[in-house]
Amino acid sequence: MHNLADIREPLILGEKSYGDITHDVVSPIENKAPKGWYILLTISAIIAIWGVGNILYLIGTGIGVWGLNKTIGWAWDITNFVWWVGIGHAGTLISAVLLLFRQRWRMAINRSAEAMTIFAVVMAATFPGIHMGRIWLAYFVFPIPNEFGSLWVNFNSPLLWDVFAISTYFSVSLIFWYIGLIPDFATIRDKVKSPVMKKAYGILSFGWSGRAKNWNRFEEVSLVLAGLATPLVFSVHSIVSFDFATSIIPGWHTTIFPPYFVSGAVFSGFAMVQTLLLIMRKTMNLESYITVKHVEYMNIVIIVTGSIVGVAYITELFISWYSGVEYESYAFLNRATGKYWWAYTIMMTANVVTPQLFWFKKIRRSFLWTFILAIVVNIGMWFERFVIIVTSVHRDYLPSSWSMFYPTWVDIGVFIGTIGIFMFLFLLFARYFPVLALNELKSILKVSGEKYVKNK
Amino acid sequence: MGTTKKYWAGVEDLHQTPEFLERQSKEFNEEIPTEDFLSDDRLGSSTTGRRDFLKYLGFSVAAASLAACETPVIKAIPYLHKPEDVNPGMATWYASSYYDGQDFASVLVKTREGRPIHIKGNSKYGLFKGGVNARINASVLSLYDSERLTHPSKGGEEISWDQADSDIMTAIASAKANGKKVRLLSNTVASPTTMLAIDGLMKSINGEDRDTASHISYDAVSYYGISAANEKSFGKNTIPSYYFNKAKSIVSIAADFLGNWLMSTGYAVQYGEVRNPNGEWMARHHQFETVMSMTGSNADYRSAIKPSDEGLIAVAIHNKIASAIGAEKINVDTSSVDELVEGAVSDLLNNKGESLVISGSNDESIQLVVNKTNVLLGNYGKTIDLDNPINLFKGNDKEVETLVSEMNAGDVDVLIVYGANPSYSLPNATDFNTGLEKVKTSVYFGLYADETGSRTLYNLPDNHYLEAWNDLSPMSGEYALAQPAISPLYNTRQAQESILKWGGNDLSFYDYIRETWDYYIPEEEGLFTDIWNKALLRGVYHSGAQAATEMVFNPEALNGVAASIKNVSSSAGNWQVVLYQKTGIGNGQSANNPWLQELPDPVTKVTWDNYLTVSLADANEMGASVYLGEQDPASLATLSVNGIELTLPVVAVPGQKSGTVGVALGYGRGGNGEKIGKAAYQTGEDGQHVIVDGNPLPVGANAYPIVGLGNTFSYRQYSAELSLTGNHYPIALTQTHHTIMDRDSVMRETTLNIYKTSDRDVFNPMHTLAVHENGKMVQKPVKEVDLWAEHPVEGVGHRWGMSIDLSTCIGCSSCVTACHSENNVPVVGKDEVRRARDMHWLRIDRYFSSEMTKDIAEEDGLGKVEMYRLMEVPSNNPQTVHMPMMCQHCNHAGCETVCPVAATTHSSEGLNQMTYNRCIGTRYCANNCPYKVRRFNWFNYNAYDKFSEVNPAQDSVARMVLNPDVVVRSRGVMEKCSMCVQRIQEGKLDAKKAGEPVQDGAIQTACADACPTHAISFGDLNDVNSLVRKEAESDLAYLALEEVGTQPNVYYQTKVRNKNIDNNA
Repeated sequence: MHNLADIREPLILGEKSYGDITHDVVSPIENKAPKGWYILLTISAIIAIWGVGNILYLIGTGIGVWGLNKTIGWAWDITNFVWWVGIGHAGTLISAVLLLFRQRWRMAINRSAEAMTIFAVVMAATFPGIHMGRIWLAYFVFPIPNEFGSLWVNFNSPLLWDVFAISTYFSVSLIFWYIGLIPDFATIRDKVKSPVMKKAYGILSFGWSGRAKNWNRFEEVSLVLAGLATPLVFSVHSIVSFDFATSIIPGWHTTIFPPYFVSGAVFSGFAMVQTLLLIMRKTMNLESYITVKHVEYMNIVIIVTGSIVGVAYITELFISWYSGVEYESYAFLNRATGKYWWAYTIMMTANVVTPQLFWFKKIRRSFLWTFILAIVVNIGMWFERFVIIVTSVHRDYLPSSWSMFYPTWVDIGVFIGTIGIFMFLFLLFARYFPVLALNELKSILKVSGEKYVKNK
Repeated sequence: MGTTKKYWAGVEDLHQTPEFLERQSKEFNEEIPTEDFLSDDRLGSSTTGRRDFLKYLGFSVAAASLAACETPVIKAIPYLHKPEDVNPGMATWYASSYYDGQDFASVLVKTREGRPIHIKGNSKYGLFKGGVNARINASVLSLYDSERLTHPSKGGEEISWDQADSDIMTAIASAKANGKKVRLLSNTVASPTTMLAIDGLMKSINGEDRDTASHISYDAVSYYGISAANEKSFGKNTIPSYYFNKAKSIVSIAADFLGNWLMSTGYAVQYGEVRNPNGEWMARHHQFETVMSMTGSNADYRSAIKPSDEGLIAVAIHNKIASAIGAEKINVDTSSVDELVEGAVSDLLNNKGESLVISGSNDESIQLVVNKTNVLLGNYGKTIDLDNPINLFKGNDKEVETLVSEMNAGDVDVLIVYGANPSYSLPNATDFNTGLEKVKTSVYFGLYADETGSRTLYNLPDNHYLEAWNDLSPMSGEYALAQPAISPLYNTRQAQESILKWGGNDLSFYDYIRETWDYYIPEEEGLFTDIWNKALLRGVYHSGAQAATEMVFNPEALNGVAASIKNVSSSAGNWQVVLYQKTGIGNGQSANNPWLQELPDPVTKVTWDNYLTVSLADANEMGASVYLGEQDPASLATLSVNGIELTLPVVAVPGQKSGTVGVALGYGRGGNGEKIGKAAYQTGEDGQHVIVDGNPLPVGANAYPIVGLGNTFSYRQYSAELSLTGNHYPIALTQTHHTIMDRDSVMRETTLNIYKTSDRDVFNPMHTLAVHENGKMVQKPVKEVDLWAEHPVEGVGHRWGMSIDLSTCIGCSSCVTACHSENNVPVVGKDEVRRARDMHWLRIDRYFSSEMTKDIAEEDGLGKVEMYRLMEVPSNNPQTVHMPMMCQHCNHAGCETVCPVAATTHSSEGLNQMTYNRCIGTRYCANNCPYKVRRFNWFNYNAYDKFSEVNPAQDSVARMVLNPDVVVRSRGVMEKCSMCVQRIQEGKLDAKKAGEPVQDGAIQTACADACPTHAISFGDLNDVNSLVRKEAESDLAYLALEEVGTQPNVYYQTKVRNKNIDNNA
């Protein structure tokens, strides 16, 4: 049995037994969903349908329904893409990296964080698809044998690397998440009474029998997948950052991008986890499992990554001056003081300044403050991508081509729509899937459960 | 059984043999090999089982039903009798001539499968070396305008040509009988044979002694002041030929001689010849003007003046020269402008006999002063040739005013209008229109039921110039032929045929031209047919020029000039107005041409609009918006002159004189819903016409009513009111940022002195990058610093490249419309241009200088933020650079590496090529292009509603203009300059067929072909003797953004200004 220092706060509050944990996780699935769930689901479904409608209009009419122009070829589309990919980082980081580091507090949050990852990556992957002028030819980006002779994809292109990076990340994350779900599905299968649900969860649980052999393999696969997923956490966003770093546009062509993007991604991912978990914790009565300590841990991650991001911002500014390159230095001055100064200010404030409030223990342990600041970080990170993408291209080399970007209602509609789809998927997850890794939680009940810690 | 059988089948039957009986008991007489068949083992192992049978059945049914579906059949019908000159896939070129009452050019018409699709200058034989401008390149599109009149009509009802002829001949006869007048109103007729035909008609009506009929000509934009002044000065009522290529010093007082003034197509060619810094000498150009014109933007020294000071400037120049050479001065106090003219005067005095002073004013007095100045300088007979005048702009402003009063008095019974649109372009068009109602029989030879055509009783549509025979004599001694390149598309008839017929001449106009030429060409020149055929092949015929002589100035001509000039300069009010013409729209004839409407103005870069130009200072003071962009609309203002009000957006233009307003003529066409072509009307955000009171709203407002009447039409108004309405109006610019931001790796300029006296390092330093080597920082030339593996380019086949001379580029945009025409570039309309989505493959970047530079900021100790802020503000009277920008065909192209599907790749001949079929439209290439020359198909321009009113490709007739060698791009793909790869392929094939290497100059891109000043040269950089190679190696050559390392194949030549500045600071 693992020994726990007295100073450590318990991770499971209250007088929870193994049965309580099972009950707490499974009962929302068994019982009728509350009214609020239906209301939220309807709202998110409406937004999702609105988004899908916008996407269909976009595909049917042409990319011109967005506000892009001859100078600014990417704006909200790729901003949204990077934003969603960034959000998708926290899940795998929590489940894989923290698993390797044996961080037990991850057990309460990894399930929903991973779900969030999957859904966010799905949303992210939408954008490179729909931003294409001819999405019906999207299969051209896959290196598949074709009837065009020796025609092959261009392995020099970072966009192609994106295709591989994101598809790999998505599949590994999905498998990892699903493997973790199997024993919990089995628990639900054993618990529910409705024959339909029994059958459904039976299929989902892949015939899990709970034998030692099962557990043994489960542990092994989890570890192997964690090992596979860990480098992916770093590679995906590094590769996404290559889209910009390998280009020749001042403001994009920056070698600092890979680490800067990865920490930004973790930063925004944790903020999104906070946003979702704080709601879920309240509405699904998970206060005993998602405790103030969890929130505090995550806030610490946020402040660390946020500070890394802040250092990166300042480094960028410094290098633009230090390099002496005219275009580079103009690009950054323009960012901070040009027509998009407001976007830069929002980015700086929301990503660098306000997260520093988490140095105060009171704030970092306050659910309300955490919730507000997490949303601020989400907004700030969206603006970070907007600032990088738009303010760099809107005034690049030739002043004759400088222009401004103004979003149209379709730009906004598609973005809001993806949030709707994401929420819709997440709500379905919260209703039908075990939102906590209940079997894993049970493994720490006797180590970190309040009942046991107190009675030690 | 007895043998009762009477008939038997054979002996066997008769005898009833046992074999027979046995055989008879069987169904088949002969043995059937069933056993053999059934015992065949292979049958049992057959694979056609039940399933296979069903599969076959299913397949057959499916195949049968598929075969029953009809696939669309695209019929390609081969020629049964192939016309001799039409080879499918091969272009045929015809030498012809363009004249529309404004521009003249010798052109070559490219036809494919019998359709004219492209116009270029006839540089080999043509007059003025085949100089063309944007309007002439675009004229091919107007041939295919589906709104052209398709048949003769009377009061809107279709009639036959015979009926039209008899009606009008009757009308003429009855007018004659009733003692009423017959008038033919035309623009300046430059065709000698047409003039003969008109004279024939007039004579046949008038007989020997009566003056029932007469021919009156006028020009939409009049130059009558010049010919009137020449009449007074020298007794010659003509407009001289000017030779800008002989003038070392050019002083222009508000004459836009490169864009619109007189024979501007020719002047641009001449100007290009003497603005080359590598020439024997380089002309110096002084310009005094109110509104920054394209010409002014090219001047070495430009002064912004009020229109009321034009006379003073002319007098000041005159007086200073007069006092220098001891001639009589004109008694006007010019102290207010003396300082401005000093430089010009000293240049003129240094180049006597090799200089040129011109004025764009239509004021006779100013032209008289200018004439006198040129006489003092001894320019007549050298740079000005009055003995060989030009035959354009011979309109008479007084006669047309008389005609209007005759019409209003009811004296005119028959009015025939030919080649002019008086209901639109006359300053007193309203009077003309009321008079027109009193004319019993009015006839219009127009192409459209336009302002005039919708008011006349008869519309007898003329042929488009590409459908008609014509001869032209743009200047004396020079003749040009125009020949049809296509049969008339509609039931139209050439106006001259009608004129001949009504004059009692039954010859066709073609025969009439031949007859005339045969008559006038001296016999000693040879066989007429040979001369004719040669003239037709070359498009021109030279009859020999008169010797140019010096002119004797009539001293009495200057009487009253001083008073008139003083009067003008003292009558000035708060605001003064200058009416000018724009490079694209000109006098308004082509307002329905979408290529021209979408052509950005060379100076303001505004498309699809007419506007009031004001100075930056005035705009700020009035509170009008200065920065115009996608979401930054222009302020609307009302200009009122003599009770006429125009409400137009305000555009602040650097270089304009404070207290003045500029308005372009040629807009506001079809304001009453006349059918003059879709592109003449405003489109809204949905791309549909903006309908007000049931009629579509025209683009811009008509400024002709502001033109002053008097002795000569006046394009200046010295007293006007201007006030903001408080409303705003979206405006579409292709360039919203106007200064270069002191980026010398984009655009380089120097002065002639420095260029001639210094090393390359001074005026065109090599770009170096700091690198770390052996523990030290060293500066290395950009070329030596490269991430990429070097591919050998030298000597490996062709390497197509281009060189663009910023010194000779005048910004005329002829290349832009030529590119449009050659490459099927879509027209996207105002709203899309406003959204910065113009599709121009070739654009001309125009940069104004700013008072702030890096050096000045350093001297003043300014911070960077402040420095950049000030750099964005152009000078009040800036220096201007026109920089054509198209795909640079980089050897290390940013676009090529980032495309995920390899849709843009490098050819073995140095071209960066787009594979439209492969493109999936990620736009990454466009983002990564430092030159921002890639254009994305945001919509399906060929079918989407938004472009139905503007894009020719959406019109069933206009789409015939598309070049069949260039694919029309679909939605969602990227496109860009291909360096006219179709022409390169054609040229290579021609060379291959001829069995020789491609000759330098044999292949020309559309832009290089169209450039009147030869600022663009194209060729093979691997051909060491090619022009482009030599230019690429010249001291002035630089690569735009060289330090980025893209290694372009397009070289720029540093802009050299002929200024007296000895250092680069």
